[in-house]
Formats: sequence, structure tokens, C-alpha cells
Amino acid sequence: MALRRVYLDHSATTPVDRRVVEAMLPYLTEKFGNASSVHFFGQEARAAVDRARREVASMVSARPNEVVFLSGGTEANNLAIRGVAEASENYGRHIITSEIEHSSVRGICDALEKKGWKLTRLPVYDDGIVRIEDVRASVRPDTVLITVMLANNEIGTIQPIAEIGSLVRKEREKGNRHLRFHTDAVQAAGRMHVDVESLGCDMLSLSAHKLYAPKGTGALFLRRGVRLVAQNVGGHQERERRAGTESVAGIVAFGAAARIAGEELDERVAHVRALRNRFEAGVAARIEDVVFNGNRERRLPHLSNISFRYIEGEGLLINLDLQGVAVSTGSACSSGSLEPSPVIRAIGRDDELARGSIRFSFGKDNSVEDVDYVLEVLPRAVANLRRLSPLYQKATQARACESETV
Amino acid sequence: MPYSSIFKDHLANPRNVGELADASAVAEETNPVCGDRLRLSLRLRDGRIEAARFLAYGCAPTLACGSALAEMIEGMKIEEALRLTRQDIARALDGLPARKQHAAALAIETLQAAIKAEFRGQNSE
Repeated sequence: MALRRVYLDHSATTPVDRRVVEAMLPYLTEKFGNASSVHFFGQEARAAVDRARREVASMVSARPNEVVFLSGGTEANNLAIRGVAEASENYGRHIITSEIEHSSVRGICDALEKKGWKLTRLPVYDDGIVRIEDVRASVRPDTVLITVMLANNEIGTIQPIAEIGSLVRKEREKGNRHLRFHTDAVQAAGRMHVDVESLGCDMLSLSAHKLYAPKGTGALFLRRGVRLVAQNVGGHQERERRAGTESVAGIVAFGAAARIAGEELDERVAHVRALRNRFEAGVAARIEDVVFNGNRERRLPHLSNISFRYIEGEGLLINLDLQGVAVSTGSACSSGSLEPSPVIRAIGRDDELARGSIRFSFGKDNSVEDVDYVLEVLPRAVANLRRLSPLYQKATQARACESETV
Repeated sequence: MPYSSIFKDHLANPRNVGELADASAVAEETNPVCGDRLRLSLRLRDGRIEAARFLAYGCAPTLACGSALAEMIEGMKIEEALRLTRQDIARALDGLPARKQHAAALAIETLQAAIKAEFRGQNSE
């Protein structure tokens, strides 16, 4: 019998929706033009890119000319943060960010710090959420950028972006004219309502492949009037904000995926939330010594991050993979670093819990049967690894001693 | 991460798991960098490793190396076991990624520490 495959890693990437594939295919074959060309083929491609721009803009309630297409979330974050830092360095070199940003934002901030920028990294406390009071207390006259993600990629916690947005507006009214606000919405888009007006951000990063479109395309929402220094130069594309021939088929796919995500948002949210909640209830009932990471209410509906005490995530990942279940871990071993997940550490968990954390992320095509299958194999995999853990043996011996003395 | 199928099998079906009640040699070593642990208990008799059991905590290579080691040394002459190198462990797993060689090193260290512990125990008697 073929092994059942259950994909629970939608925060890493999603399968491409069939409707999205159909929308993009003609732009790989007969409608192959370069959107910068003046002839028929070019204009056909241009029209498709413009339509996709309206579709992506509409998903986040932006204007079409505020959308810059590029290669993905990492490039969007680079353009936003480096672009603003370089454009405003005469006004100040202080940036506020959080301790739990995606590695791309973390990497960019670290690189700027090495070049002399001052960084404030806000704590997230044990629920994985930035506090607005901390943001307020960190703003200085030389602060030129605040960059805080809309929702975290490992634990899914939703940050107070609208509150930060209104704080930024007030700061600007008080005379801090050069303060800009960026949010990384790569994990959030398609999983919660995202509206740049109510968020009050100047820039917002998006990635197509988290929305059932192919990898290789993303977008930066760039509010009208916000100046930044282009990071890709040497071409007029995207109104000089991002040089390079547009990936027309990828952009068309992104547009279609954004439109469908908007239409189906409520349905998708209800579906993945029901699956995630069924899964978490099942884990709590079947497995001892687990810790659910991140605020249980203020988080993305499709994601569950759980630490399994006494064991390490990578071994569990491989055991689950052998049973056909695909998940991911922030454990140091599988990410190739020595430090356990900075996100799980930032919410105050010890090294053991940080190393034992697993992310389960559900998608629109998962079913109740998928959840029940995982609930069948997961307890066995955890027990299998605990059986050989010296930490577990010690803990169970200690418990046995306690119950004897009682 | 390209782990071999034998490697994965050790993770799904770890061999020689546990602790010997009548062990004559026990050692628990820790990798100070990442905190990985390997505990080995051996019953040594007449110059041979009559039985070997392991417990391990840490990343997947540490678990697989513990399992491969415990399986490999059961029945082995002590002098032969002392000649094992981390390459032998890696070979038993059809290779280890370059960054994971330390897991095989921890297995060899733990084996040598256990055997030394039993000789120290004999000398003090």
C-alpha cells in the first residue's frame, strides 16, 4: 500500500493552485512578450502585468502603482529596509525591529548594524508579541525606520501593527518627519485580512509562493511618496524601483493567486483553523509533556508550534517523514546553525524546549483525515524517541520516586 | 539534508535501546557545544562486550550514531572495540554529512570512556 503523504509545512511553501497554473501557462508559451517592448507581444505582457498589479494591490487595499513586483519576500525586505536606510541616512541611523523577525530581516539589520546603524530589537515576552509601550519608548529623534513583522513565521503570533502604525503617524505629526514603518506580511497574507490603510504601514512585503502561486515572485507595497534607494539598478522596470525584466508568468500567477485568496479568505481561514484546533486538542489529549508556543488567540489560524519535552526536533521530523508527514523544526541541527531557534528562545523557553519545537502548518487542501492520520503517527514517533532519551528516563525515574514516597 | 536510508532506519527503529541492569561499564558523555548526550551501558566479560545498550538526546545524527555503535559493538572483543574510529561509525550509516561528524566522534568518546571506566573499576577493587 502506498504511504499516505500529509503535507503540513504550508508556512515553508504551498502547492500551486490548478487555477493559478492555468492563468499563468499562456504567458510561458504564446504570450511570451517582454513587458517593456512596444510591439503587440510586449503590450500583451504589459496588460497582464498591470492586471496582476491591480489584483495584488486589491488584496491588501493598496493602489496599483504602490505595488513593486520583485523576486520574493527576501528581496522585498531587502528593498524596503536597505532602501529606506540608505535614503534617509542623513536624517538618522536608528532602526527599531523585533527579536523574532524572519531571518532575512534579521540578516539585513545585522548587516546595517555592522555598517554603523544603531539597532533596537524589541522583546516579545512569553506570548511572542511585541508591546506597543516598548515601541513607543524606543523611538528617538534619529529613528528612521521601524520594521516589525505582521505575523511570525515560526509561532504565528500576530503583532500590533495597526497600533504601531498609528504611533508612527503621531510621531510624524510631532515632527519626526522621516520615520518610516515597514512590515513583513509574507506569512500573514492569505491567512488573515491584510489592509495597508488600517495597518498604517509605509511598506509591506509579500511573497507569492505562500499563497498557492509559484516560487520566485513577490511584491513590496510602497506607499505613495515614500522614497527609497533602489537596490537593483540598470533598468526602467517597476518605475525605476526594481530593474530587471519582469517575470510575467510568475506575476500573472501571483495576481490570480491574490484574487482567489481574497475571494476565499474567510472559507480558508475557517477550514485551517478547524483543522489546527482539532489537531491541538488531539495532541493535548494524547501526548504528555508538550508545550504550545505563542499566544493561543493572537496567531495565524493555520499554524501550530509545539515543543515536545525530552527530545530534539530533527529526530522527530525524520520519524514523521518516514510515516509520510512533512513538518518543519526550528531546531539548530536541521537549520544548520548551532543555536536553537531564536524565536523559541525569545519567548523564554529553555534550550531543551527550543530544540524540541516543531511547526505544523495547515493548508486549504488538508483534510480532517490528514489530521487524524497525524494524530495516529505523532504519539508513536514521540514515544519512540523518548524511549531512547536519557532526559526522559531521568524524568520518569524521578516521577516514580516521587509517587513511591507519597 | 541527505541522510541515507540506513541512517533513517536507525532513527525509526533504534537498536539496543535502554540501560543494562547488570552493566559492568557505564559512561555518559556530552557534546559541550550543542548539548547532545550519549549514554552507553556495557556488560563486559572475558575480554568481550557481551551486551551494549544506549540512550541518546540530541540531533538526529547523535541518535543514529548511538544506535549504530551499540549494534556494532555487541559481541565484539574489547581490544577491537577500542580500535574503532568515527569513520567506522559513519560507514555503518552509509556516511554522515560533513557538519555532522561530531556525532560519530561523541559515539567513539563515549565508548572509550565506558571501557576505561570499567578498567578503573577493576583496578580499584
